Amino acid sequence: MNELIRRILFSSIGKKILVGVTGVLLCGFLISHLAGNLFLLVGEEAFNHYAETLAHNPFILPAELALLAVFLAHIAVAAVVSIQNKAARPVAYEVQRSKGGSTVGSRTMVYSGVLLFVFLVVHIKTFKYGDVGPGLYHLVLTSFQNPFYTAFYVLAMAAAGLHLSHGAQSAFQTLGINHPRYTPLIKAAGWVFAAGISLGFASLPLWAYFRTGGLP
Amino acid sequence: MSGDMRFTLKVWRQKNAAEMGRFEIYEAKGVSPDMSLFEMLDAVNEDLILKGEDPIAFDHDCREGICGTCGSVINGQPHGPETGTTTCQVFMRLFKAGDTITIEPFRAKAFPVVKDLIVDRSAFDRIIAAGGYVSVGTGAAPEANTLPVPKEKSELAMDAAACIGCGACVAACPNAAAMLFVGAKISHLGLLPQGQPERDRRSIALRRAMDREGFGNCTNHAECEAACPKEIKMRNIARFNRDYLKASFLSEE
Ligand code: HEM
Ligand code: FES
Repeated sequence: MNELIRRILFSSIGKKILVGVTGVLLCGFLISHLAGNLFLLVGEEAFNHYAETLAHNPFILPAELALLAVFLAHIAVAAVVSIQNKAARPVAYEVQRSKGGSTVGSRTMVYSGVLLFVFLVVHIKTFKYGDVGPGLYHLVLTSFQNPFYTAFYVLAMAAAGLHLSHGAQSAFQTLGINHPRYTPLIKAAGWVFAAGISLGFASLPLWAYFRTGGLP
Repeated sequence: MSGDMRFTLKVWRQKNAAEMGRFEIYEAKGVSPDMSLFEMLDAVNEDLILKGEDPIAFDHDCREGICGTCGSVINGQPHGPETGTTTCQVFMRLFKAGDTITIEPFRAKAFPVVKDLIVDRSAFDRIIAAGGYVSVGTGAAPEANTLPVPKEKSELAMDAAACIGCGACVAACPNAAAMLFVGAKISHLGLLPQGQPERDRRSIALRRAMDREGFGNCTNHAECEAACPKEIKMRNIARFNRDYLKASFLSEE
């Protein structure tokens, strides 16, 4: 067991596998979270009903704790990986030009990740610990009356798209899956997934901001 | 061989590992488009020697793109602007007369500068010594046909074995990771029947040796694949990840 922990927690490949596995789990969370959020478009009653059912589920607390652990693990291991990678090239190149391979997404994982982290803190503060007196639907819609908050939300979702444009397909490679038959498909699916997630999440604040008619 | 092209060279000069380096500017005159970058540097060096100055030190041996000794970063790209090629095969016709060409060594903590453009790549040797081989008992050669090797596997193993150990993968990697080099060894030995007995042990040992040298962690940028003069594929890194994962959890050794 000790040996296994050493091989995974204290090794380059092991740490990458942890980032990959936690990243994939977070992708799963994003899908279910987006699906839930789409109840906003159905209407106030449907959304509030969904939110309350979720909140009263006895398994929600353990699920939230598990999700928190996954987030913290992803961030902590990714941070160690990034710091080590910086240290692996102490003298920078005078000129550096790509020969191909890397993408804007791959080169900005740390920045998109940090922006996502800041977003998460703000997001949880607003919607989990905000005033849900008149219902969550009301809180969501009033929050997105603020153009700055809406813009910040949309920007963060762009960062999520960027993060996933590299991360989604990269996780497969990290977990050892690369095959001439499947890899082109995985890469394409990764892009579609990244675009779907970021556009899907970003559409809701935009809808809330630009919708006409008064607040509930 | 001479021509009428001129270049401004911005070259990294560093006396030894202990001293700080810096860029120096040199003028290269009378350059022919048919000269290689190294032939141009040879001419610049002859001038420097005549002036009593220290010539620019750079690694080279075969100058045919096969030995893996050469390697510099030219205008920000390991082995220069072309794909599937080495520094010794960079020709001056690739540049516009009058250009400034920046030449610097491969940069990585695990590849300390020895002098000017020469870096110490013995980290690769130590990785190989840690398990990048197949142990065989001595004795008479076995009868060839006792060990069938499927054609596809032998092709893939040979593709990986084309690695010349130049280190461009590390130089190109934004993380200075050595995964393409090590992944190539994993594939070249692990795809053949002779490599099976030590396959689990090898992935663990090579990973450990690689980390010990201070290389970075792979984040799948794929810059290594683009810079590799032998066009070794990222698929070999995935095989390394797979072998390592399997050996870590399932090895019974
Ligand atoms: C919803 C949130 C997130 C999802 C779905 C997600 C997903 C992923 C995925 C799939 C990878 C690729 C793993 C691999 O290549 O094996 C990754 C890498 C990474 N993540 Fe995240 N991530 C999220 C949030 C964060 C946050 C909040 C941070 C940091 C503050 C972060 C930092 C990183 C870094 C630095 C990497 C790069 C390491 C690498 O390329 O492997 N991520 N992420
Ligand atoms: S000197 Fe042999 S490959 Fe360049």
